[in-house]
Amino acid sequence: MKSKLKTTIKNIIGKKTICHLRFSKLIYRKKYSKDNKIIGRIKAFKNTKIYYDKNKGEELKKLFKGIDVITISKDKKFYNNFDFLKVNCFTNSIIDNMCIDYSIILDNSFEDLKKSLNKNDEKFYLTELKTIEGFELLIDRIVEKNKSNKNIVNNLQNMKSKKADSLYEALQRILFINMLLWQTNHKLNGLGRLDLILIKYYKKDIENKTLNENEAKKLIKEFLETLHDFYEMKSSALIGDTGQIIELGGESINGEYLCNELTYLFIELMEELKLPDPKVLLRVSKKTPRSLIEKSLKCIQTGIGCPLFANDDVIIEKLINFGYEKEDAYKYGTSACWEPYIIGKASDPNNIRWLSFMNPLNDLLENEDLNSFTNIQDFIEKYKEYLKKYLDNLINQINNMRFEKDPILSLFIDDCVKSSKDISEGGAKYNNFGLTSVGLANLVNSICNIEEFVFKNKEMSFDEFNKIRKNNFESNEKLLKRLKNSEEKYGKDSDKILELANDLIKYTTDVLKEKRNYLGGRYKFGLSAPSYIDASKNVPASFDGRKEGEPFAVHISSDVSNGYTELVEFASKLSYEENRFNGNVVDFFVSPNFISDNFDKFVDFLMLSIKVGFFEMQMNVVSSKQLIEARKNPEKFPNLVVRVWGFSSYFKDLPDDYKDYLIERALKSEGNS
Amino acid sequence: MKVIVSNIQRFCLHDGPGIRTTVFFKGCNLKCPWCSNPENIDFEVQEYFKDGEKNVYGKEISLENLEKEILKDKDYYEKEGGVTFSGGEPLLQFKNIEPLLKNLKEKDINICVETALTVSTEIIDIAIKYVDEFIIDIKILDENSSYKINGNVEFFYKNIEKLLKNNVNVTFRIPLVPEFTVTEENINKIYDFLKIYKPQKVEIFKIHRLGESKYKSLGKEMMEFKDISDDKILEIKEKIKKLNIEVDYIKI
Repeated sequence: MKSKLKTTIKNIIGKKTICHLRFSKLIYRKKYSKDNKIIGRIKAFKNTKIYYDKNKGEELKKLFKGIDVITISKDKKFYNNFDFLKVNCFTNSIIDNMCIDYSIILDNSFEDLKKSLNKNDEKFYLTELKTIEGFELLIDRIVEKNKSNKNIVNNLQNMKSKKADSLYEALQRILFINMLLWQTNHKLNGLGRLDLILIKYYKKDIENKTLNENEAKKLIKEFLETLHDFYEMKSSALIGDTGQIIELGGESINGEYLCNELTYLFIELMEELKLPDPKVLLRVSKKTPRSLIEKSLKCIQTGIGCPLFANDDVIIEKLINFGYEKEDAYKYGTSACWEPYIIGKASDPNNIRWLSFMNPLNDLLENEDLNSFTNIQDFIEKYKEYLKKYLDNLINQINNMRFEKDPILSLFIDDCVKSSKDISEGGAKYNNFGLTSVGLANLVNSICNIEEFVFKNKEMSFDEFNKIRKNNFESNEKLLKRLKNSEEKYGKDSDKILELANDLIKYTTDVLKEKRNYLGGRYKFGLSAPSYIDASKNVPASFDGRKEGEPFAVHISSDVSNGYTELVEFASKLSYEENRFNGNVVDFFVSPNFISDNFDKFVDFLMLSIKVGFFEMQMNVVSSKQLIEARKNPEKFPNLVVRVWGFSSYFKDLPDDYKDYLIERALKSEGNS
Repeated sequence: MKVIVSNIQRFCLHDGPGIRTTVFFKGCNLKCPWCSNPENIDFEVQEYFKDGEKNVYGKEISLENLEKEILKDKDYYEKEGGVTFSGGEPLLQFKNIEPLLKNLKEKDINICVETALTVSTEIIDIAIKYVDEFIIDIKILDENSSYKINGNVEFFYKNIEKLLKNNVNVTFRIPLVPEFTVTEENINKIYDFLKIYKPQKVEIFKIHRLGESKYKSLGKEMMEFKDISDDKILEIKEKIKKLNIEVDYIKI
């Protein structure tokens, strides 16, 4: 009786928390959306049913017993359903924004997974056992509803006791486990290196003539379309932000570039489907064949913003130097955007918080006697003091966070099963937390302008300069223009800018280096972040010529039109050593005609840029004209896709401030601003 | 040594083979009314006003710094790409920049020049020493009307002969301007010229008005031109093709 009461109380608390969390996330999205479907969803959440049990495995089992199971229509090949009105309970943060190793479920049956559990560790054993029993129970329920569909019945039943035997089966297994992740509150679920995982099934089917190439293509096409189902429900911060990334290609530890028929096929299908989601990341290196880059560029030309290129020649070395084992580093994939992530081996929440380089600058400007500075170097040193305070505070906040127990992830992330330890308690092999950063460009440009106007040209005192800034440059349009158009700028490959930027990020490393998270892991950060608009709201004007509330610069970008080689040269000279590899993406706009008129030379550019050494690279292929028209008449451009941060989205679904910023950047890249 | 440059543009894909950095020198001895870079006609730094604000066309730069700028994209040049000197008439600067040309040659940077060849033969001798690719404009070959652009047909022929004797790589470009280059007399002269010199490749292009705002900023007016019909362009293309010369219509 007593324990029942306790459960009820916990149930209520849990229910409240989860409602609160989900509700606030959705309200936040509602603010941006006029879409009735979303408002309807917010209403739906009031009717959400929440499952709780003091044993997490039992709780999941209850959930899988309770969720809606549907009958799949005959013309569909895969079972995939997501009952978002039923959820399990959580009171801590969920570990997500990552990618499990799906090959585990292809090479093992549930029986095999049960066998791998250590019975001596009773608590962990029972939780995981119940979780797997929950999977089996769900399969039974689905089979019951789809009795007449032999393919679905076989593919799902086989999961219980057999390894995957065909491409069809393998794809269904991936979808099944992926679906369970969405069902259990996990967001931003990556898919992993599917070309490498799936090739053996593809080859076998072709050899055995159970499939021909065309049938295989159709199958994978439907797999991708099925992943796209529930697109809006899967989205996190903005519609399209699903983290459903498929990684393709990549160098092996033997120095050989791995790609196969499926690498090409996935890219070809993305080009055909023109969907914003799922997304593709292509790992490239100097050894990537030209034909694969050509194929990728054709896909990029459609404007869907993928593939994103990740440069193995730069990234792998950084991962190893940081402390990831060599063998693991070569198998990296990504978190939801572009943060390198060791697939199936890490808890690494790589987007745990963002840091803004502009926050400490504003604190400094508020609190210090500016006229007491006599040179820029003293000013930079003072800035570093403020940066340290800011980072200390940020890390303290993060270290107060705790993660929810997660029996599903623990099954698919090494070494949780081996050590009988839940991922939330440090069971994973790696537990390093990742920050993203924003505002470095604005900081660097601000410092350059302060030096130029106050210390070098002595046009005005620092105080006067600051007053003008605080007044949002009102009636100082000329000065504002000069600040914006200063000669030395982030993104230009001048030694001075690079030295300053590298000095500031190295200092950030120095502060973070000593810190440990609650799982004992370290902190890393990168120079790109989704928060360039959110982090800049209500932030006062800055010396780089940014007015109050205007967005920060996007990732590693420049506003020089046609300055692609310069930007890549610049990006390749930023220092990504130590812990500075948590996503560093070069981001630019190209007009569609520019690529089609110069296709071969653009392929040259991409291949040479890999050699020059960008870390990651993505682009929007769209003209400002088209964006402006789509802004005015969204109904005429229902399928226009754009790249936003680490994801692509339908332009029409974006909040207005994102739309406007894309237009502004497109105009700048065309030299029209 | 310092030279006056109006722009250094990286990642140019239309000014010769490969990926190139194009250097625009100020100063030209021709006065083509369709010129798309009117800011590069005068040899000196020029003030101009745009939206009520004072600005300048042209900047003095030392050869050392110019070389630095050119080498910034070295990673992208590979075998084919490199630097393109444009203008204005870049050959007019060649005596001044010979040390730079020498350095670039030593560093194995491919050098291309966009010229109308209306310069003294002495300069051509320097150019032959260093330039890998000549992009040569064929404008007015009719002696009776070449004065309209301040041209000098005699110089042109003399220089062409010298170049071709030295077996240099040449691409000819013909701007199609109804009132000037596509007059009956002139276009026939051009065909005759091509017949004799049989270049491997000719590019033809329609002129554009993208430079109009620059004319305005200098207090000048850009002349109005008749539009050339697609049929006429096709006709010219076919005629050149018949001479067994590869011809490209480039859109700018």
